Amino acid sequence: MAIFTMEEVRKTFTNGEVHEEVLKGINLSLREGEITALVGASGSGKSTLLTIAAGLQPASDGRVRFEGKNMTTMSSEQVRKIRASKFGFVFQFAHLVPFLTIEEQLLLMLEVSDSKTKKFEQKSEITNLLKLVGMEHRRHAYPSSLSGGEKQRVAIARAIIHKPKVLFADEPTASLDSKRSKEVLSLIRDLTKTLNITTLMVTHDEEMLTYADHIIKMSDGQIV
Amino acid sequence: MNMAWKEMKKNKVKFFILGSIVFLISLLTFMISGLANGLSQDNAALIKDLPNGQFYMNTDAEETYNLSRIDRSMQDQILHEQKDAVALSIQMGFLNDEKDKHHSVAFVTSTNSKLFKHVNRGEIVLDRTFEEAGIQVGDTLTNNQYSGKFVIKGFVDQKKYSHAPVAYINIEDYKEMYRVEDMQLVFIPGGDSSQEFTGLQSFSNKEFLQTIPSYSAEQTSLNMIIWFLVVISGMLFAIFFYMMNVQKIGLYGILKAIGVKTSTLFHMMWTQMLFITIIALVLSVTLSQVFNLIAPNGMPFSLSTETTLQLSFVFIMIGFLGATLSGIQIKKVAPLQAIQQGEI
Repeated sequence: MAIFTMEEVRKTFTNGEVHEEVLKGINLSLREGEITALVGASGSGKSTLLTIAAGLQPASDGRVRFEGKNMTTMSSEQVRKIRASKFGFVFQFAHLVPFLTIEEQLLLMLEVSDSKTKKFEQKSEITNLLKLVGMEHRRHAYPSSLSGGEKQRVAIARAIIHKPKVLFADEPTASLDSKRSKEVLSLIRDLTKTLNITTLMVTHDEEMLTYADHIIKMSDGQIV
Repeated sequence: MNMAWKEMKKNKVKFFILGSIVFLISLLTFMISGLANGLSQDNAALIKDLPNGQFYMNTDAEETYNLSRIDRSMQDQILHEQKDAVALSIQMGFLNDEKDKHHSVAFVTSTNSKLFKHVNRGEIVLDRTFEEAGIQVGDTLTNNQYSGKFVIKGFVDQKKYSHAPVAYINIEDYKEMYRVEDMQLVFIPGGDSSQEFTGLQSFSNKEFLQTIPSYSAEQTSLNMIIWFLVVISGMLFAIFFYMMNVQKIGLYGILKAIGVKTSTLFHMMWTQMLFITIIALVLSVTLSQVFNLIAPNGMPFSLSTETTLQLSFVFIMIGFLGATLSGIQIKKVAPLQAIQQGEI
């Protein structure tokens, strides 16, 4: 069943009198619990598509539906609430909050998402998830003391601690070496399958494609 | 989660530096304010301690009370019509003690009034600084314009004029010393500027203070320093938080992307600003008040609780304004920017 759809989505950037159409009528649907990889050359529009899907920027035209509701007609506050509670994000860099410990990064996400989890249960949930990503022993460490791979593991934990419906990943392995990339991808696949999280992942990396259920190729603002 | 506190805890040095600068600037402001107020008291306590009212001097005197001579019939008319009105004169001069040491004083005399001390002929009441200098009640003082001797009848607290201690003398002695019959000024307590008298110009207490030659120049300079320091502290907050916000644009973008409200980020910044300012102010207020208690007697320093609270409030407001202006960046930052940026 499709949890997320995009219908005839267009995006045009205007610079003075120059109009550049970056997305030219995108149609796609994401099925619950599946991993979809978005591939294509630089400038093909895949990152723009991901950010529109994630509610980080508006489409110029078309509809983005999440759980049947049209996000393009929602207020920015409604979109923010969806981002906070229903979506998870993993970026090229971990982007952890430098002054929070690993445990606090996850507590912050639970707080932002208005998680219904009770306080005493939050700690045990964090412990379980940190065990899953292999970072339980560093729960009181600050990001500055972690390696790149460890930071990305924490970023993944932060992205799914609140049990989002959709995980958006924008080149999550771009800053990692090949060994760490494989570890991170395996982790994303295992966790999203275990927790039934739908994933849309932008990548340049051919290796990543073996971890995806579906592959969408983009070229010149269109799905090919 | 209190992110503001956690950030300060992790970046103690950065916030300690900001706090120290705010502390030093606010302490300097309080000290200068204490000196300004002290000098103001030293310059014009005689006038400042009077109730609100109106001073009158000759229009011809061109706002210089020394040149003013109020006609006797006009003076009698005003004193007759206005129950609490008083005619007075102030003249700078010298007194010699029994050891023939010169003391600069402001001679003050007036018609009958509760607002000024009254003495009989040949008697004098002095500001307490004379007592601190070893002069006692019963001692005699002389003046080269006065034929007799002044016998000290008592001392009064904090009565200064033009940085000199006040000496209250009898009106007849004053007339003999300065060879005048007329008083320089008339003061009507509670009066307002609507009361006009032919040939006389009226001044409120504040306006009259400005006619004292040194008062206006001295206070303007000191007040300019005080407000300059207040503005600097506001700019300091704006610049410091601006720099911090520029460094944190990526972080703010990511926090917004994951769903943190913009208002939460503003609260974080305001909490930090308030925490730093309040700690810095508590320390500087305490130190300046301690100094107020132990300041050497000769130092004109006076810092009231009211002034301290007013300045503290101004500091908090200006800090809030500076931080908020720099925080406009937080509102502008788009989540997308963070994704397109490198590691934060």
